[in-house]
Amino acid sequence: MTLTVRLPGPATTVSGRGQRWAEARAGSLLALPAAVYFLVFWVVPFAGAVWLSFTDYELAGVPAWTGLDNYHRLLGDPGFWNSARVTALYTVASVVPSIVLALAIAVPLSRPGRLNGVLRALVMIPAAMPLVATSMVWSAIFADEGLANTLIGLVGIGPQPWLTDERLALWALVIMTTWKHLGLFVIILTAGLQGLPSGVFEAAAIDGAGPLRIFARITLPLLRRTLLFVLVIAVIGAMQSFVPAFLLTKGGPAGATEVLPLYLWATGFGFERMGYASAIAMVLLVAMLALSLVQFGVLRGGDDG
Amino acid sequence: MRPSRWGNALRGTLLSLVVAVMLLPVYAMVAVASASDATDLGGLGFDAAQFGEHLSLLFGQGGFPLYLRNSVILSLGVAVLEVVLSGAAGYALAQLAFPGRRVLFAVVVGTLSLSPIVVLVPMYLVVRQLGWIDSFQGMIVPFAMSAFGVFLVRQFALSLPRELLLSARVDGAGELRIFLRVAVPLLRPALLTLFLLQFLAQWDNLLWPLVVANKPGLWPLPVGLSQLQTEYDFSAGLVGTAALVTAVPPLVLMFVLQRYYVAGLTLGGVKK
Amino acid sequence: MTLLTRRRLLAAAALTTASGLLAACGGSEPEAAVPADGVPRGKLSVWLHQTKAYDAVFTNLLHSYIQEFGGVDVTPLYVPVDKFDAKLLTAFAGDAPPDLFKIGGWTVPGHARKGRLAPIIPKAMGVADDKALIAQYDQSAISSLSYQGRLYGVPIDYTICFLYYRRDRFAEAGLDPDKPPTTWEEVAEYSKRLTSADGKKVGLQWILGNPQWTLMQLLALVKGKGGGILSADAGKATLATDAGVEALRYYGSVGDAKLSNPLSGFGLFATGQAAMVVSGLFAMDLFPALNKQLAFGKSFDIAPLPHWDGAQPVAPAYTWAWAVAEQSKLPYTAWHFIDYLQREDVAARQLKDASLLTPVKGWEKLPNADPKAMEIMAAAAPHADFGPQTPVWQEMAKALTDAGDAVAFGKKTPERAAADFDQAMRIAL
Repeated sequence: MTLTVRLPGPATTVSGRGQRWAEARAGSLLALPAAVYFLVFWVVPFAGAVWLSFTDYELAGVPAWTGLDNYHRLLGDPGFWNSARVTALYTVASVVPSIVLALAIAVPLSRPGRLNGVLRALVMIPAAMPLVATSMVWSAIFADEGLANTLIGLVGIGPQPWLTDERLALWALVIMTTWKHLGLFVIILTAGLQGLPSGVFEAAAIDGAGPLRIFARITLPLLRRTLLFVLVIAVIGAMQSFVPAFLLTKGGPAGATEVLPLYLWATGFGFERMGYASAIAMVLLVAMLALSLVQFGVLRGGDDG
Repeated sequence: MRPSRWGNALRGTLLSLVVAVMLLPVYAMVAVASASDATDLGGLGFDAAQFGEHLSLLFGQGGFPLYLRNSVILSLGVAVLEVVLSGAAGYALAQLAFPGRRVLFAVVVGTLSLSPIVVLVPMYLVVRQLGWIDSFQGMIVPFAMSAFGVFLVRQFALSLPRELLLSARVDGAGELRIFLRVAVPLLRPALLTLFLLQFLAQWDNLLWPLVVANKPGLWPLPVGLSQLQTEYDFSAGLVGTAALVTAVPPLVLMFVLQRYYVAGLTLGGVKK
Repeated sequence: MTLLTRRRLLAAAALTTASGLLAACGGSEPEAAVPADGVPRGKLSVWLHQTKAYDAVFTNLLHSYIQEFGGVDVTPLYVPVDKFDAKLLTAFAGDAPPDLFKIGGWTVPGHARKGRLAPIIPKAMGVADDKALIAQYDQSAISSLSYQGRLYGVPIDYTICFLYYRRDRFAEAGLDPDKPPTTWEEVAEYSKRLTSADGKKVGLQWILGNPQWTLMQLLALVKGKGGGILSADAGKATLATDAGVEALRYYGSVGDAKLSNPLSGFGLFATGQAAMVVSGLFAMDLFPALNKQLAFGKSFDIAPLPHWDGAQPVAPAYTWAWAVAEQSKLPYTAWHFIDYLQREDVAARQLKDASLLTPVKGWEKLPNADPKAMEIMAAAAPHADFGPQTPVWQEMAKALTDAGDAVAFGKKTPERAAADFDQAMRIAL
């Protein structure tokens, strides 16, 4: 499970055994709480979950070892495949637009100016809004006479049944989560953009490169590490997303928003098939790790700054 | 490239418009808070008298002030521990060589991808074994650190100016002293960002406190609020008002910390 | 030395996971389940899902019980209804359930099968045996709470489905508000007349996406056609039959699945977009709470649930139950407290203040009830149907909801949805 992320070597100039020993001691001391914490609250529960995924544990009795039965069952479970499809769709649909949108807002917003300063403060407001407390407001926004229909009415589109149309419901969730996370992404990207060396841009402008060319050839590559960070948290957030569907649609209509974590929840705590739910979680975990590796690989390239 | 005055104005207007659209749902929240009953949700008007009535009802009832207090304890507790513990671990991972560094980092990245739902039952068993059911430590300690927090601090700490740490070493300062005196001040934006994000996350945490606390006297806001809102029976205006009041503390904290989180999220993206 | 500490550390880590899991099944027998003097003692914890009306009644009852029996203290916890099961299950798995709880009667056989429930203690309830207790209740309601011949709960909050209809909408459409439809065929016909030109108002609207209501709605349709959702021994699914397919086809043909409201069909009925819904006794108080303009008997009314033309009526019913945890150290006290909650004067109070019917024998004559509702329920009681009794109730109801919704949203044909349901249940059963 080691990632191919290069750890920068420790400072070696003040080398010598004494220094290395001091570092090891300080490092161990600082990292010890983390080691204990992750062991007790994640590694041990995780090991428990791995074990359960090979058993028939039903939240009662002694789990009996059933080998690969749960994984085998996954293959023929239409509910699982529906959820996997919904999660894939939801991830793409929420990550791509929110990152493109965040970039489109961040580039002009990163310029200095008093208005931009105010807007940068305002753009984070949705991120501070607690989802659980405000979910009821969102069901009101997506109601027949709600704000969403009022807005699309302004551009001449008739009212839509947002939460009860199986094609629209997923998009309603995407709108809600994009709204919630966009501000954070914008601020991360803005901060990244502001840290870029201005000399490069000036040189490019003198060379007569247009703004789009500068963006594609200079801004994007320089911003790679920040983009990677945003992408990783966006993808992980989307694939683990549970609360929006749990609060707003409960997986409906007709399974259209039954994302994998929600299916996991129903399997574990509704049907009480915790062994099977653990197997689903392992599949999700492997998929997410694989995706993270791909992202690191693609965006890291050779040089990792 | 010299931006024209018109271009600037256009850009400013467009950006303001986008931000205004993003704030519309916040306004909808205000409007719902003054709705009179469940059939009256779509309106965008604001009825101050209704809203006032809901407010006094909310703070007059026993529960809400208590939930508010519990949420403050929970969110502050988690955020403070997170800053101290994830801060230390993130710095160590980025700047110090110690045995087990790679393993710890792999665990951190792996944990990022682990679905919290599946460890709910095993984690409950651990907390029960520790005798922490029905206590604040049972709600706080399992979130005292996070993979995200360690990851964030590590990313930021990677770009701490080497020369500074090095010269401190040359001066003969101990590693812990360097961490506290040199690194922590430089890490301040990242640490305060982490503080903010963890505070927000706990302010919105429903599942774990619900499962682990059996006394309403311990419940934080999300659990208390879902009491107000059941499937067949809720007062929309009251829930809306509660939602609005709930959103105020995180908003205030965010504005107070604004100066820091912008810098904290720079992640040392580019070496200067 | 180092080896020892390391081994101890490992053992501690293993203990943390394993012992918790294993303890869930151990559970020592409570010593002296029945105290010699028959007096209840101790501190009880009780969990119930939160409902505004009932919680107020319950809190008062609890105080009067504590007053009457000085040796007992009761701590209640009101949990939001949609998170109740998860919380209870986690507590069961962690070996820390409350002493007693109010759960859906439909989940009792499943919990009992997993050894989580303590059977009733007749002595605590002032009766000689199970049989004597059953005789005190409505037969069909209480027998739905047994598993393998033993009784694991007593019923509370019992209802048989009604057809709720909007008198104002009927009058608007030129239908006689005093003559609600009596057959499903009539419901379809009335629905056509009640549907507005723009499609925003409809006749009957199903409660979609909700497992419990889907089961009751489809139960009425499938059973009425002579079919069944599961076979008589609950051994396999039988929806892919003529009866099942026709029921699903009908399910998809009335109402408009795309109409939306934060409170689903209940909300649509409150706004008047839906002129008819299937619902229980509790809704008589619910609708006026959702829309202050609604008054029972004036703007909305109830009628017996329709049946298929020329066929036997089917009356889908459900009941909640009080049950005691197998792990409870105070089963006697718990059952004694439950018995107190079930007294006739208490039942009358619950009915008056919370529209909550305790199906004690002779419930149809309880004072304070709406006479029309009681009359309809009493007439339907002989046909009361609690649906298939199966330990995998949750999975069945979810699969059935998937099938019903898929047809209602036009995603699948009735034939396909029925076959998929049977297939899903083959894996589950």
